[in-house]
Amino acid sequence: MTKVQLNAVRKQFGGFVAIENIDLEIASGELVALLGPSGCGKTTTLRMIAGLERPSGGAILFDDQDVSEQPVQDRNVGMVFQRYALFPHMTVEKNVAFGLSVRGTPRAEIADRLEEMLDVVQLGQFRHRFPAQLSGGQMQRVAIARTLITKPSVLMMDEPLANLDTKLRGEMRRFIRDLQQRFGITTIFVTHDQVEAMELADRVAVIFDGHLAQYDAPDRLYRQPANLDVADFMGATNIVPAAMKADDLAETGVGAIRVAPRPGFGAGENVQVMLRSEAIDLMITQPTQGGVPGKVVARDFFGASVNYTVDCGAHRITVTEQARRLVEVDTPVWLDIDPDRVWLLAS
Amino acid sequence: MARKFNIALSSRLSPFQKFYLLIIAGFILGPFIPLIIQSFAFRWAWPDLLPGTWWLEQRDRAMVPLAWDYVLSPYSRVWEATVNTVLIGSIVTVICLAICLPAARVLAREKFRGKSAFEFFLSLPLIVPEAAIGIALLMMFIRLGLAGSYVGIIIAHLIPTIPYMVRMLTAVYQGLGRDFEEQAMILGASRWQVLRLVTLPMLLPGVVAGALFTFLVSTNIFLLTFFLGQGQIVTLPTLLFSKIAGGTLDASAAGITLIVTLPGIILLIISERFIKEEAFGKGFGN
Repeated sequence: MTKVQLNAVRKQFGGFVAIENIDLEIASGELVALLGPSGCGKTTTLRMIAGLERPSGGAILFDDQDVSEQPVQDRNVGMVFQRYALFPHMTVEKNVAFGLSVRGTPRAEIADRLEEMLDVVQLGQFRHRFPAQLSGGQMQRVAIARTLITKPSVLMMDEPLANLDTKLRGEMRRFIRDLQQRFGITTIFVTHDQVEAMELADRVAVIFDGHLAQYDAPDRLYRQPANLDVADFMGATNIVPAAMKADDLAETGVGAIRVAPRPGFGAGENVQVMLRSEAIDLMITQPTQGGVPGKVVARDFFGASVNYTVDCGAHRITVTEQARRLVEVDTPVWLDIDPDRVWLLAS
Repeated sequence: MARKFNIALSSRLSPFQKFYLLIIAGFILGPFIPLIIQSFAFRWAWPDLLPGTWWLEQRDRAMVPLAWDYVLSPYSRVWEATVNTVLIGSIVTVICLAICLPAARVLAREKFRGKSAFEFFLSLPLIVPEAAIGIALLMMFIRLGLAGSYVGIIIAHLIPTIPYMVRMLTAVYQGLGRDFEEQAMILGASRWQVLRLVTLPMLLPGVVAGALFTFLVSTNIFLLTFFLGQGQIVTLPTLLFSKIAGGTLDASAAGITLIVTLPGIILLIISERFIKEEAFGKGFGN
């Protein structure tokens, strides 16, 4: 159980600033995702926490102890690399026991802990195999076991679900969550995939160009992004410019929309309105009040869900709904939008 | 092995494919045939295609083939030359590895100014004629008192071997991501443990190939050894040259030639076994 803090951490490679003064606090036992596009500095941040890179400025604290200058071997962290980095010349057993044997742990204790760990990751029957003989999911479990056996104070993972197929992904997600809760271990992972971040993390830190853009729980990040960039990165599709007529009314290109008031966004302001596609109701009869009229111009069927593109005049609005019914293309429709699910962003 | 090869040859290959395989086999094994015939000849005069008199017909006059009788006798200095060749080859290989491993690591992983120029110049010793290098070195080494010494020859042998070794090891290092070493460090391994338990075992196939190649190049260098050994240090190539310098390949020279190939063949067999038995000959997991 370790609390991790980054205080104004900076990293510079020659003239290139990879990380600009990031402050981050990760509570003990929390699972946090560092999310951002490739090259945003999230991996550098992770490597600094692990001790593979030394910060150019600021401090990294584990339980209020400054570890910025501590070499990686003494930091007692764990890291699961994206491609697992299993030692190809060692069997599963040797791989898992590596951390203990290099630390000079007595043989009997290594054997006990190895047994226990192979049990946790359910790899007992593969113990004498080489990594090349394992599937992707098995390799990841070996990598996790190899890390957890050393009882690290912080566990780090690089894109933990990226290399797995859809079915395995769900399985591994539950596995990682269970393990993380069972051991109560502070866990940080990086990813460029907002779905991966939301499905796994307690809190997500969004990083753009070396700056921390937002640090929040997944639902807040998704529904109430701090700015346009975050909204865009979190996959928001319907963002339209608007002028505020009143605290709860925005005039857009598709007509007036009722919104939930947000401090700082009063009448007269020019704003951007974010309409989450799954929070819009598609009506085939005109509602008694409100409702944005339009016409379905395209339909994308995904099995469980279906996406409609609705032409509302000045803008095209995407609507997602459960595929309980299918509305034909060219059908005239009305969009009903819950004011509480409309989010205002600064232009 | 031979049977498997034959079955594969007859069942799956077209006549064309067989033809090309035979040509390649001819080029590889062909040069050995006259040598083997020569070493068992009693008299082989020009322009006969095969020896006029075989050793077998003259067994009453010579107990063993003439060539082998001479080669195996102490007068031929073959034993001395073999020891020298293997000794120099081994030391050159070890020193070459010690220089090239760290250099290859830098070349494979770091970016620095002038790197591409540096890589280009690495091949220069292979382009400049050996005779020029040899003469220039000889003049310096005479002044330094290194001419005719083992040290002198070893230094000279490093010149053509380092470029090959560095290139080979750089390629191997490029295939070995940083992940493995970083992972080992995170798990608590010291620098020395990382090198011993992770880096070297993973580089092993490349290191073995590079070492083998260096050893073979070193045991085959004639000109540099000849110049710098000043006749005081005899290796198999210089010994052979003294035999064929007259312009004929006589039976004893043929015998020596066959001996010259032995260290290389033995080494090839050993390394072949060695690399195959490594479990990760199956490939690097990811």
